[in-house]
Parts: sequence; C-alpha cells; structure tokens
Amino acid sequence: MAADLVLDTAIRDWVLIPLSVVMVLIGVLRYFVSKLMRSSQVPDAKIVKEGQLVIRARNLRASANFIPPKSFRARRFYFSNEENGLLFVPKGQAQNPQAQMFSDPNMAMDMMKKNLSMIIPQTLTFAWVNFFFSGFVAAKIPFPLTQRFRSMLQNGIDLSTVDVSYVSSRSWYFLNLFGLRGLFSLILGEENAMDDTQRMMQMSGFGMDPSKSLGAEKDSLDIIQHDWALPKFEHRAEVVLKKLVR
Amino acid sequence: MVGHNESSGKKSSEATNDVPTLNAESLQSNMKIIYYSRTFMSIIGGVIAGILGFTGLSGFVLYFLIMAVTSVGLIAKAGFQVHSYFDSWNQIILDGVLGGLLSFVLFWTFAYDIVHIF
Repeated sequence: MAADLVLDTAIRDWVLIPLSVVMVLIGVLRYFVSKLMRSSQVPDAKIVKEGQLVIRARNLRASANFIPPKSFRARRFYFSNEENGLLFVPKGQAQNPQAQMFSDPNMAMDMMKKNLSMIIPQTLTFAWVNFFFSGFVAAKIPFPLTQRFRSMLQNGIDLSTVDVSYVSSRSWYFLNLFGLRGLFSLILGEENAMDDTQRMMQMSGFGMDPSKSLGAEKDSLDIIQHDWALPKFEHRAEVVLKKLVR
Repeated sequence: MVGHNESSGKKSSEATNDVPTLNAESLQSNMKIIYYSRTFMSIIGGVIAGILGFTGLSGFVLYFLIMAVTSVGLIAKAGFQVHSYFDSWNQIILDGVLGGLLSFVLFWTFAYDIVHIF
C-alpha cells in the first residue's frame, strides 16, 4: 500500500460536498421537470375498459374458491363464452400496438420527453463535473479493493501508484449517480424516474397488446380448477371452536 | 402497516392451507414499506458507519447487523405474526437486503471522508 495521501480540506469543501449536493438537487429538479412536462393525455375509453375488464377477471380468478361452484361457473361463462363473452376477442380485430403508436404521435412524444428528461441532465452534469473537477482525488472509500477496480474508481487519473481506494471526482459522480437512487425513492416518493417506465407500461397499456392480455386472461380463467373453500373453512372453524371450548 | 385484511385474521398458526387469504394490494403496500425502511436504515447506517470510522470488513458487518435489526424491528411492528402480513418469512427477512448496499456504501464513504480523511 502506498503512503497515505493528504487531501486538502478545500477539496472537501469545494469538490466533494458541492458535487453531492448538486447531484441531489439535480435529481429533485429532474423529478419536478418531468412531472411538469408530463402531458395528461385523455385515456382511450376502450383501453380503460379493457384494463378494468382484465382486473375484474383477475379478481374472479384470485377469489374463485370463495364462491360456490355454480356461481363461479356462471361468472366464468359471463367472461369467457365464445359468443359474447367479455374476454372473447374475435380474430382479426386485434389492433396492432405498433401501428397504434405511429397513429398517435402523442405517445412517441411522451416517450421522447421522458428519455430526454433523463439524458439531458445527466449529460450536463457529467460535462460540468468534467470541466470543473477533472483530475481531483475527491474521496477515499473506507475498504480495500483490488487493482481491477482502478479503472472504475479512478476514472480521470492516470497514476498507477495511487492506492485503489482513492476515488477521483469523476468516479465519485458515478457513485453518486447510482447510490442516490435509494435516497430519491425516499424523498420523492415512489414515482421517481427509476420506476417511471414501469409505471407507464402498466397505466397506459402501452407496449403491450390489450387484446392479447384479454386472451391470456381468458385462457387462465378457463383452466382454473375450482375448489370451493367454504366447507374446509367450516371444518377449520369447528377445530378452532373446539379448542376454545376445551 | 396498512394492509391487515380481515380474512387473514382467520389464518391461525396450524392452518397451512393453500387458499391465499392475503389481499395482493395490501401485500404490495407492505413490501413497499419494507423497501422504504430498508433504504432509510441503510442510509442512516452508512452515515453512522462513516462517522464512527469503520473501515474494511467491519463496515459491511455493521451493514448486515443493521439489516438484521431492521428485520427484527419490522417483525416486531408486525406483532410477531408475520403470516398475517406476508406470504413467507423470506419476504420480511431477506427482501431488499442487498438493494440498500449501494446507498450504504455511498453514505459510508461520504461521512467517512468528511470526518476522517480530510
């Protein structure tokens, strides 16, 4: 291990702390900007209807065992019969989501806005860090690492004699970029940029074929084995009550 | 803890039947709470480890210690009746243990540098 470096306290005051603070603030700013830019598109009534339908069918599937067999069969027939069942999609009517995306420019626009609101601040911050703080040894991680991590942690410093646990400012930026995710999810709530894409997929039904999900739901409803739970519950109640009486 | 639905109350200790009696949304909300507590604890733990000047292995030991304490706290919050809130023990003990590690390392490094290096 090489001799310990002595780091100037000015580096702490003018590199380490400002860099971290700026990263946090930019994350917050990005959150609010993307919130402002999010256009509140009116959801298509048909898509919403289908989504609700899938949820209803799923509820039926989840709690199938709590209703009598006859009721279950009636409900299943209502959902999945071949003539006018709600989940039954006639062949050829299925809409191609790709075509739908092209026909609706708002969707592509939304995607682009989201991506831009991710990429632009990151590029700007990276350029800013590069411009002001290139070549600083900004921090020291408190645990030893092998040489393999040198390129990761000492990005921007080309000295092979410095101990690997010293971190350059550019790498400190990267560490912040990944490590602050947890902090963001705490201070911004769950809807921060990390799971934004995921949420979008769920909400607008974008990227997945609604008729396909209807078909899948129909299939899983068809194959479900109905097993009424209530007789067993009575038995269990009997056991519990007997135990109480004793 | 939001999601203690009524039907799960029936689930007595010896009844290991296959009927799911947990509300999926409540379960998800519980999982989210676990995630938040773990993230929070990993950040706090990182700061503590940095200020106390832990280096090397002892810091990671502290991290897993803190995660264990968090698990115990969560179980205590659930009134030691894990099965009325979660599907299995794994969900409350293991979930998200490694997810907070990066946050922990970041805040550990940050606090350690500010207090000890400069």
